[in-house]
Amino acid sequence: MVNIKELQASIGDTPILKGLNLEIKPGEVHAIMGPNGAGKSTLASVLAGREHYAVKGGSVDFDGQDLLDMDATERARSGLFLAFQYPVEIPGVSNINFMRAAINGKREHQGLEPIKGKDFLSLVKEKSSLVELDGRLRNRSVNEGFSGGEKKRNEIFQMAMLEPRFAVLDETDSGLDIDALRIVASGVNAMRSPERSFLVITHYQRLLDYIVPDFVHVLVDGKIVMSGDKDLALKLEDKGYDWIKEETIA
Amino acid sequence: MTGMAKPIVMDLERKPNIHLATQAKGEALRAALVALRSGTGLAAEYLDALPVPHRRVERWKHTPVAGFWSTYEAPQVQTVLAAGCEACPVPGLHAYRMVFVNGTFDPAASDLPVHNGVQCAPISMSDSPPREAGDLEATEWFAALNQAFAIEGMRLHIKKGVVLDRPLLVHHHTHGPNSANFLRHEITVEANAQVQLIHWSTADSQASGMVNIMTHIEAATGSHVALDKVQDEAGKLHHLAFEQINQAQSTQVRVHTGTIQGQWVRNDLNFRLDGEGCDSVLNGFFLPSGNEFVDNHTTVDHCAANCTSSEQYQGILYGSSSGVFNGKVFVRPNAQQTNAYQQNGNILVTDKSKINAKPELEIYADDVKCSHGCTIGQFDEEALFYARSRGISEAEAKAMLVNAFIGDVLDGFAVPEVRMELEHRLATKHGWDTWNDTLEAG
Repeated sequence: MVNIKELQASIGDTPILKGLNLEIKPGEVHAIMGPNGAGKSTLASVLAGREHYAVKGGSVDFDGQDLLDMDATERARSGLFLAFQYPVEIPGVSNINFMRAAINGKREHQGLEPIKGKDFLSLVKEKSSLVELDGRLRNRSVNEGFSGGEKKRNEIFQMAMLEPRFAVLDETDSGLDIDALRIVASGVNAMRSPERSFLVITHYQRLLDYIVPDFVHVLVDGKIVMSGDKDLALKLEDKGYDWIKEETIA
Repeated sequence: MTGMAKPIVMDLERKPNIHLATQAKGEALRAALVALRSGTGLAAEYLDALPVPHRRVERWKHTPVAGFWSTYEAPQVQTVLAAGCEACPVPGLHAYRMVFVNGTFDPAASDLPVHNGVQCAPISMSDSPPREAGDLEATEWFAALNQAFAIEGMRLHIKKGVVLDRPLLVHHHTHGPNSANFLRHEITVEANAQVQLIHWSTADSQASGMVNIMTHIEAATGSHVALDKVQDEAGKLHHLAFEQINQAQSTQVRVHTGTIQGQWVRNDLNFRLDGEGCDSVLNGFFLPSGNEFVDNHTTVDHCAANCTSSEQYQGILYGSSSGVFNGKVFVRPNAQQTNAYQQNGNILVTDKSKINAKPELEIYADDVKCSHGCTIGQFDEEALFYARSRGISEAEAKAMLVNAFIGDVLDGFAVPEVRMELEHRLATKHGWDTWNDTLEAG
């Protein structure tokens, strides 16, 4: 589904990703862990098409399409979703109008008519129950005045609405208490399917107790230096990252 | 002191703040207009005594007037039919209508209210006496110019307690080059009467010259007046709009100004709150692009106690456009318990766009609540990326942010059809495919 080859990206003159390779097949959940500054969030941003980062080399194939050739809007319409580490507040734009524009953008891409008001509202009702997002939040301005947990639940609600084929979750566990974490994780788990892949970026192993990955990769200094199964995450939790740095340098 | 210096000093004392070259241009313009309009403009009460505005006059500091020193011609086209424009620019609007083309009343395109309690006629056909000049004509050269040359306009008188059953649209269209169009609208609303007015200005793409419109509104005790003002003029016009609104006790006047398009626009909106318990609302938006210029000068003069005024002007400046906002609020010594609010927000879309914004509050009463705020910023790049990452196109994402920025002002326009047409015209001008209407979730 997604094949990342030798991906290099920088901010200004500073290289962040230095030849990253990763292949994700349909239905798989991959986790990327790594110390601060390793390039985890950069990877998420580069995949979503944030212009702030310059891609210096490598390729990303997304179901036969050149992902790097598409702008952020096209990537989303083609089925990529990024759950933001810091969801953005947009005062004056209601959550519900925002989502309708997003849904209709995707439908336009698929050659479909804009969604009918009634169908849209029942879809909202169905998907918001998945993350226990209450009606009050749906009608408020996008993320404005939401608590940390509400913002992350809103991200997962948006993901459920848009039904992407490939979702990147960037530190979705940060700022969540245990109850919110459980709600967010169960929302994600409900969406796991043989056709849908996930890339879960996290600093801590805790999230992976709830969203159990098929593969765990360790990102250090812009490269994946080690891959394994979910047990690798437990080992990292136990021993930290230093032993990997030593082992890979040696 | 030499013998030569003295008369210059005396001259400056007689006419303070005169820029001689500009003054000469103004006088040449006046002479040209007198010749063009044979006979009018001679008996100008204040024109002789006033300085022509220039850059060193505070109220005109950022408002270039050089474009007025041009040549003007007598209009050839005086009807909607000849101009090939719409009589009513707002689809589906069910309103009375008074249409002027190049400053001339077009009876065939108009639909005047016929009602015992309403007198509504073009000035040229009205037998009531003209209104006396007010403060604006006495202090502003361009307003005095209007007084001298405006022989047409609307005279509207709504009698005590009458509620006009439909909005009244005053549509002015400019057709062709080198126009000098003057209109004055004299509106009297008697006690407890109510009226909704729409002032809509259009022009074709060949239009140039000037449009100078003066509107006087006298709102008597307990009356309600709403004025929706829209400026959507193609071509290269210089558009001046003066409004003087005098409010008696317990009146409610709401003025909304939307500038969609216009090469050079200055709105000079003045409220005088003369009786207790008045409520004034003045909101506006302006979205200039290219090298358009939009200036909103407003004055709210609180002369009586227990009044509220609320003002919000939102500007989004594209391309190399520039804008001016100047909001004066006076609270006079006896205007206790005044509640005055002013907000001006501006987004500069490019690094070539420009805004000069200045709130001015002068408060001489001690028991009042006055607040004001002014912001100048850019489109939120993070919000744009967030929207795009959800599959929303950049154009639509920007339209959403624009809607969020001016939505409150748009919602305040009194006539729903006007509001919808404004959204449509903004979307057309700026290339947004859709405008998100609100959707209530169940």
